[in-house]
Amino acid sequence: MKEQEHIPVTKSERSAKFVKTGFQIGGNYIKHYSKKLFNPDLNKDQLNEDNATDIYKSLSELKGSALKIAQMLSMDKNILPKSYVEKFTQSQYNAPPLSGPLIVRTFTKSFGKTPDQIYDKFVLKSTNAASIGQVHAAELGGKKLAVKIQYPGVGDSISSDLKLVKPFAFRLLGMSEKELSIYIKEVEERLLEETDYELEVRRSIEFSEACRDLPNVVFPCYYPKLSGKRIITMDWIEGLHLKEFLRTNPSQELRNKIGQALWDFYNFQQHELRAVHADPHPGNFLITADQKLGVIDFGCIKEMPDDFYDPFFSLISSNVLEDKAKTIEAFRQLDMIHASDNAKQIDFYYNAYKEMIALFARPYTNKTFDFSKPDFFQQLYSYGEKVTKMPEFKPARGVKHFIYVNRTNFGLYNILHELQATVKTDTFQPHHK
Amino acid sequence: MATAQQIRNGYIDYVLTNDEKPKSVYSFAKKLKISESEFYDFYASFSSIEKGIWTELVSETIHTLQQQVIWVEYSARDKALAFFYAFTEVLKKHRSFVAYSLKSRPGNFSTPEVLSNAKALFEQFAEDLINEGLENGELADRKFLSKRYKDALWVQFAFIVKFWIGDDSDGFEKTDEAIEKGINVTFDLCQRSPIDNLFEYGKFLSRNGNFKEKMGL
Repeated sequence: MKEQEHIPVTKSERSAKFVKTGFQIGGNYIKHYSKKLFNPDLNKDQLNEDNATDIYKSLSELKGSALKIAQMLSMDKNILPKSYVEKFTQSQYNAPPLSGPLIVRTFTKSFGKTPDQIYDKFVLKSTNAASIGQVHAAELGGKKLAVKIQYPGVGDSISSDLKLVKPFAFRLLGMSEKELSIYIKEVEERLLEETDYELEVRRSIEFSEACRDLPNVVFPCYYPKLSGKRIITMDWIEGLHLKEFLRTNPSQELRNKIGQALWDFYNFQQHELRAVHADPHPGNFLITADQKLGVIDFGCIKEMPDDFYDPFFSLISSNVLEDKAKTIEAFRQLDMIHASDNAKQIDFYYNAYKEMIALFARPYTNKTFDFSKPDFFQQLYSYGEKVTKMPEFKPARGVKHFIYVNRTNFGLYNILHELQATVKTDTFQPHHK
Repeated sequence: MATAQQIRNGYIDYVLTNDEKPKSVYSFAKKLKISESEFYDFYASFSSIEKGIWTELVSETIHTLQQQVIWVEYSARDKALAFFYAFTEVLKKHRSFVAYSLKSRPGNFSTPEVLSNAKALFEQFAEDLINEGLENGELADRKFLSKRYKDALWVQFAFIVKFWIGDDSDGFEKTDEAIEKGINVTFDLCQRSPIDNLFEYGKFLSRNGNFKEKMGL
């Protein structure tokens, strides 16, 4: 609990954080204009850079859903600079662990029984923190189980965090309320879904059933009868987290095997199920002793409607990108080029987005792709940084689905990069109209 | 022949139906078809009935807690938490009465007359667990202050009950949060903290007050 001393916890503290950022940005403007008094040629580059630094500084100090939201809103800028990505992958809903009595109470409320009466063995001390809850080890009928318990009041805190973020986000990200609210709503929906453990159990069973035949991917068995609004009971998967796995110095062959499992898992979902596990956080995966990828969290699922899937993946897996008219047509469908844009703007966004899509599609262009190559990621990050600084990208563009689809795919690329894996990228091809 | 139980239930029924106390013991006894003296055999007044109900709620809570196997393993902090979780569970069965009993007594909640006996019982319970915490070092033994720890828990008692009455969240989830956070804060304050160390340091400096001269400052 100690390390949390510096995390702003209460609503007022968090708003203080945002207010501080607001002030700092105000300060940056003052700095800018006072400098400009003496040097009229000064352009806004320095100002934008100062602003961006302050924004990211304050974002990375935030924890909990406020951070998730901020993080995903900045994902609208498509690709984050590397250092931020690192900070963000550590992000979690950080709450103090639940007390023993509250755990017992959560059980008696859900089942009318204490954990001791339900399981043969239940360890009252939690083993890990899950994103919005904590995990306990238990045993029933000789089987080792993982029991996930949600912190009380998480749903409320998400809604209040969102209300908090909104006014500042308009300013920070330079979006208008109308533009932003589409994205905020998308994020809020997903986050609230994550707090619905009953839904999570249903989906986990559905998805693990649908993905059953994928090679080298394993799922825990879920127990709906031992799960409820705040509790999920599933099999305990023994395995290593990505970081620990990498410390064991796995062979290239093994890295590729795990990477391939991960690639197949995501692309099978995207292209066959049209709904995807949208939280490629390294903590949601385990690598088992028999060299398989264990997937342990289905809290966040993004469904892809046809009007997004078709134009987006046509850009990626066909030669649409070579045809300017068709590409612009697809960009229009994806709201990346607006009806109100003039010819110059169309040209500008066409080029900028084409570059992004080309980067995104790079792994798909060959039958195999080596994710260990740093230059691909360098290009991604420098593109991201370039875009963040372009005033043309200040107003929001692109349909809301980009937030999670980008997060998923770039998240996947990042994990594969960490794994240094080479994977066959043609196992599950997009099929679009 | 009436029993204490019957009179009590009759009283609860009366106040919840009419939202006020009976006009007199006479009219109430008549309604229950008992004699006034039978009433006085058990209770001295209406408020003594209410007092009795509150005391029972607290003692019922303590009783259920002590029956749990895990109880003995709990730290003082856990015991306090468990008390309030169990207490709100017990209160749930009598929510209307609890709301009535406190509503009909305006003013500061800290110790309404109806709670006086329950308070005594709770404080005894609190003192036991505080002493336990002091003995095993979970709580900091501070001159004068240690005696006030139980008052801090009573403040929580009053606050939590009040919060619970106003709570309209599903399954009184917000009350759970209020308990978890509130009791943890109370216990954080009662355990050894930087303030104690600061105090110790201050004492040391004042005892060695002439250090400035010694160091030639």
